[in-house]
Amino acid sequence: MNYAVLCAPDFALHSLRRSDPGLRGRAVALVEGDGRKARVAGASPEARGVAPGLAAALAMSRCPGIILRQRDPAAEAEAHRLLVAAAFTLAPRVESTRAGCCTVDLRGADPARTEALMRLLAAELAGAGLPARMGAGATPLLASYAARCAEPVLVVRDPVGFLAPLPLAFAGPTPEQEGILRGWGIGTLGGLTALPKAEVGRRLGAEGVLLWERAAGEATRVLRLVEPARSFAAEWAYEPPVESIEPLFFKLRRFAERIALELRGAGFVAERLSLTLLLEDGGDRRREFRLPEPGADVDGWLRVLGGHLDTVRTDARVAGVRLVAAPARPQEKQDGLFDTGLRDPASFWENIARIAAIVGEDRVGTPAPLDTHRPDAFVLERPAETVAPPAQAPVHPPLGPTLRRFRPPWPVRVVCSAGAPCRLEGGRLGGEVRAALGPWRSAGDWWKPQAWAVETWQVEMAAGGVYQLACADGGWCVEGMLD
Amino acid sequence: MPPPPQTVSALRSLLAVRFPERPRRPCGGVAAAVRPIDEALGGGLPAGRLTELVSAVPSGGGQTVVARLLEATQAARQRMALIDGADGFAPEAVPAWMLRHLVWVRCRAPEEAFAAADILVRDGNYAAVVLDLRGCAERALRRSPACAWYRLQRAAEGAAAAVLVQTTRPLVPAVPWRLVLDAPLSLADAGAPRDAVADRLAVRTERSHAPAAGLLAG
Repeated sequence: MNYAVLCAPDFALHSLRRSDPGLRGRAVALVEGDGRKARVAGASPEARGVAPGLAAALAMSRCPGIILRQRDPAAEAEAHRLLVAAAFTLAPRVESTRAGCCTVDLRGADPARTEALMRLLAAELAGAGLPARMGAGATPLLASYAARCAEPVLVVRDPVGFLAPLPLAFAGPTPEQEGILRGWGIGTLGGLTALPKAEVGRRLGAEGVLLWERAAGEATRVLRLVEPARSFAAEWAYEPPVESIEPLFFKLRRFAERIALELRGAGFVAERLSLTLLLEDGGDRRREFRLPEPGADVDGWLRVLGGHLDTVRTDARVAGVRLVAAPARPQEKQDGLFDTGLRDPASFWENIARIAAIVGEDRVGTPAPLDTHRPDAFVLERPAETVAPPAQAPVHPPLGPTLRRFRPPWPVRVVCSAGAPCRLEGGRLGGEVRAALGPWRSAGDWWKPQAWAVETWQVEMAAGGVYQLACADGGWCVEGMLD
Repeated sequence: MPPPPQTVSALRSLLAVRFPERPRRPCGGVAAAVRPIDEALGGGLPAGRLTELVSAVPSGGGQTVVARLLEATQAARQRMALIDGADGFAPEAVPAWMLRHLVWVRCRAPEEAFAAADILVRDGNYAAVVLDLRGCAERALRRSPACAWYRLQRAAEGAAAAVLVQTTRPLVPAVPWRLVLDAPLSLADAGAPRDAVADRLAVRTERSHAPAAGLLAG
């Protein structure tokens, strides 16, 4: 479960319906083309007998009272922003794949929590008038197949079993490839992947191999990531201008749903709202609301905005509306007087888990030196919930520049004069030594099979730079740089 | 509706009126406890901004800056993250009590470091995030797209953390502050107290977009 795809079927139609209160519960068809060439591109479930591809005139005769509408780019842009905002609540790495479709990089996220979150999100989007299907899988392609089959959420845990019955069209074969494969009696993805990949390649060429990989859900790609929202604002122009409160309130609810999701995705809440009514005569009415409690509760916002709209009287009709939310960090936890704990513990631990999924469990944490003089001996521990108060000033404060290690150390040949290094010869570091300090000898674990002994020197090179050398078992290496 | 703006300045004014978001100025920061750096930045590393520290010479003092920053954040009881692009941090080089507030990410490649930085910079729990790319393979760094830096800058702008990027050559496009360490330390510094070594670092300001004074006032 590395990727998720959020996909809104009939995106253009749903975008249109969610933007106009007059279309709610009505038979609506989306048409493309003008006049006699106008064809139905999509129809709401209420439009019985109307299917995509039908001539507009025929649709009107089959379903009396049907409303025919053209696509609305502004409504689609607003709906797509809602979908992208929803995707950002799952993970911060989101691709806006195409209109009505987003791909999310879920690596590092807790699978059980993410699946529960996806189900909640699907319900939330449906409530906002944009039903979406969500699929999750090991590759972006597998996740997109899952999204096409989801009702409304599908997580692919057994890719072979999931792909086997799917029709071949999922992998996007060319008509020629489809014809050949039908001739072979193959109509499903499982049928194609049952054939050896190399043999398919020999018969159908490189294109055939790509088709096989798509059928196996293996094809992967780099996501083109988009930025999360930075300004939490929405605006709509009414055509024609409106005179009553209902269309305003309907649009404000849609705006609030989207802005609340954007704030959640960015880890913010709203502390103030600003509502501007743009009037037909060129004037405007602006009002700012300080929320009683900073949050992202849509109903709470609408109570505040509705209370204001009930009392507003304007001299001209309203030609547009704009809503802006001022973001603030949620104060998840109040710091105590003597406590500097985590401000947002959930986000802290979730992010640690995400990073562990990227670099590995054993490569993220708080370092704790081990009780030994052995060089580079430490463990990584789970970070502490609170930051302890500073210790008393140490009796022996740290001296000199700080060591920066080379892992693994650089092997080097050392030429000594009077017992001290005078020249280094090696692939990565070589040259004359200007000055040397040492040796510092340490040894330990002599009672164990893994006994160790090391001699350490600090050298300043004639060409510049101070390095730490170590000699163990007769071999020299550059441990790091004093920086 | 009013006619669309005809010039870029008119468009900017219109956008400023329509989307009156709060001005995103740095309103705080983290003192690095390295006098030349704090003086160059007007008080410390600015919160919500990237600061690039270029170690132009070997032993320029970049790791000493990290050690001093660790001490300063621990003294202020703040949390710090170190994203170590080439896994070079040596825990034994600083006292153990200075490490308890540190989250150390040991990366193997710059891609991992960028992915980790993208997550940690957005996390509101850190006062300072250090992205150390010194020691990363030059070829791998060149492969990093410029958009990764812009993405990181945008992420930092919306966050509360001060972000310090350590490099060996100027790497961050359009970075607000770029400081260069261009004089190497010597073996004579080995016996001096670390705070004195840090205060003697040769820091040159190569780029500064700072309203320097009063940075830490907020």
